[in-house]
Amino acid sequence: MAKISTKHNNVLPGFTPALGFTVFYLSLIVLIPLSAAFLKTTLLTWDQFWHTVTAPRVLASYRLSFGAALIGAGINAVFGLLTAWVLTRYTFPGKKIVDALVDLPFALPTAVAGIALTAIYAPNGWMGSILEPHGIKVAFTPLGVVVALTFIGLPFVVRTVQPVLEDLEAEAEEAAASLGANRWQTFTRVILPAIGPALLTGFALAFARAVGEYGSVIFIAGNMPMISEITPLLIITKLEQYDYAGATALAVVMLVISFVLLLGINGLQWWASHRHTKGFILKEKAA
Amino acid sequence: MSIEIRNVSKNFGSFSALHNVSLDVPSGELVALLGPSGCGKTTLLRIIAGLETPDSGSIGFYGEEATTRGVRERQVGFVFQHYALFRHMTVFENVAFGLRVRPKKTRPAEEEIRRRVHELLDLVQLDWLSDRYPPQLSGGQRQRIALARALAVEPKVLLLDEPFGALDAKVRKDLRRWLRRLHDELHITSVFVTHDQEEALEVADRIVVLNQGKIEQTGTPVEVYDNPATPFVFKFLGNVNVFHSRIHEGIARIGDMSIAAPGHDDAENLSALAYVRPHDVEVQREAEGASFSARIQDIHAIGPVVRLELQHLEDPDFIEVELQRERFTALGLVRGDTVYIKPRNLRLFPN
Repeated sequence: MAKISTKHNNVLPGFTPALGFTVFYLSLIVLIPLSAAFLKTTLLTWDQFWHTVTAPRVLASYRLSFGAALIGAGINAVFGLLTAWVLTRYTFPGKKIVDALVDLPFALPTAVAGIALTAIYAPNGWMGSILEPHGIKVAFTPLGVVVALTFIGLPFVVRTVQPVLEDLEAEAEEAAASLGANRWQTFTRVILPAIGPALLTGFALAFARAVGEYGSVIFIAGNMPMISEITPLLIITKLEQYDYAGATALAVVMLVISFVLLLGINGLQWWASHRHTKGFILKEKAA
Repeated sequence: MSIEIRNVSKNFGSFSALHNVSLDVPSGELVALLGPSGCGKTTLLRIIAGLETPDSGSIGFYGEEATTRGVRERQVGFVFQHYALFRHMTVFENVAFGLRVRPKKTRPAEEEIRRRVHELLDLVQLDWLSDRYPPQLSGGQRQRIALARALAVEPKVLLLDEPFGALDAKVRKDLRRWLRRLHDELHITSVFVTHDQEEALEVADRIVVLNQGKIEQTGTPVEVYDNPATPFVFKFLGNVNVFHSRIHEGIARIGDMSIAAPGHDDAENLSALAYVRPHDVEVQREAEGASFSARIQDIHAIGPVVRLELQHLEDPDFIEVELQRERFTALGLVRGDTVYIKPRNLRLFPN
């Protein structure tokens, strides 16, 4: 009996080596270091682990780290969308410069950003001296952490939403207007659902970046235990005290929480972008 | 009149898209704006809709000034070439959109919306697709949904921008017949844009031929086809043969052939172009009356009409002729034969 090849003939060759290399590479770069963290944690007994990761100071740091990251990503989702909207829909002098400015938080060393933000928001800084008399303290408070995390997250939202906005059919908006929708209805019912998945991606990226942020936060946070101390700083503190197992225990908790949150966001995004396209194109029924 | 367009001009930068266009669309008619790409037909349609504002001139609906009214207030139904359906909404929600976005006091109750949407989906014969999303539909289905959506707001005027332009030939033919029947049922004043003369001739009550931002001719399909006002209309509405000729005292000469040219009795050696449709050319074996000789270069004998490509013996130009198959068989023509041709119906346009 003749053997029939079940292999697909692909236009691009080398699928198997490419897949092999990708898995090897990801293991080397991502998986092995991460599993090392898990392995190191096993040096602790379960009680020790639980005690370390649920200490009051640590719990306060989780709240700040994840809470501030969520708030920062939320602020970025709103104002990043606005920025992307302005950059795609309007022409104005200096647009290219504004466009380039958006990327600055990507490029700037985070420590520089932290020092700059602290200098501005400190009680004697430009912004700080204006806000202080109104009772608003930014530097060395959780609010400062939010400011820093908002700063570093902005480009993620703008850069993911911008191309989708550019590709958006102007005709769909015109159709909505011709059907009697006002601008707000057109925005909420036609535009927002179309850019929703991209906005969620941008939000997730900004959030992930903010959770892991260290450099820009430690300067502006003031790092007061129980108040303005982020989890990455606690990890560093433990490392400096040669408590490697304790540090990796915190790292593992952060990793698991981040992973679950991102999985959830990705699931939501997948649902948002795929619920309309599943199925097949139906045959034209004879009229 | 339900749409009055008065002296409308529109420029895009230095490009003049419309130049002093005036047009009346009578109530209940289906009017085609026909012209080549870039002739301004879509711009005119968008100005009627309020999606574009004219640089000068005015638009009136049912005797009411509408130039300054935005697209929301004009109560027009607009159908786009690429459907412009809302991808994230079901077919049902797409059609219901225009009703749902109404202000609270004029918005119909949910039950009424449901009834109206299903009625419209029945009208476009796609009620069975109401739960699907636009990406799951074929092009023809999408366009019918787009039409149902536009009709849902009970527009005073229906505007269609190349509605069948993105569909394949078979579907396009079915859909345009269907549109004609639908219009006969609803009698809603409609304007549609097309570059396809066949489509305009088949569907429209009245055709407006546009060229370079100006109206060349307005009339019923029969009028514009049988009696083209300008050489452009003649050429645009079908295949045509063009001969150089001279008119002198009421007689036009094409080569050795003399033909009466009524209306040009005072002409003094006037240079003119003679236009003849391929089916208005008679082919004969023998020279007889006003005719000239040509050689058969090519024969396309497919279907009931046989197309011949002839070469004038002195002229380098090709002449296209369409013959009934019976006539073709009776003559027993083969490639390379020399025949005599005689224009039956000829239009002269002095240069």
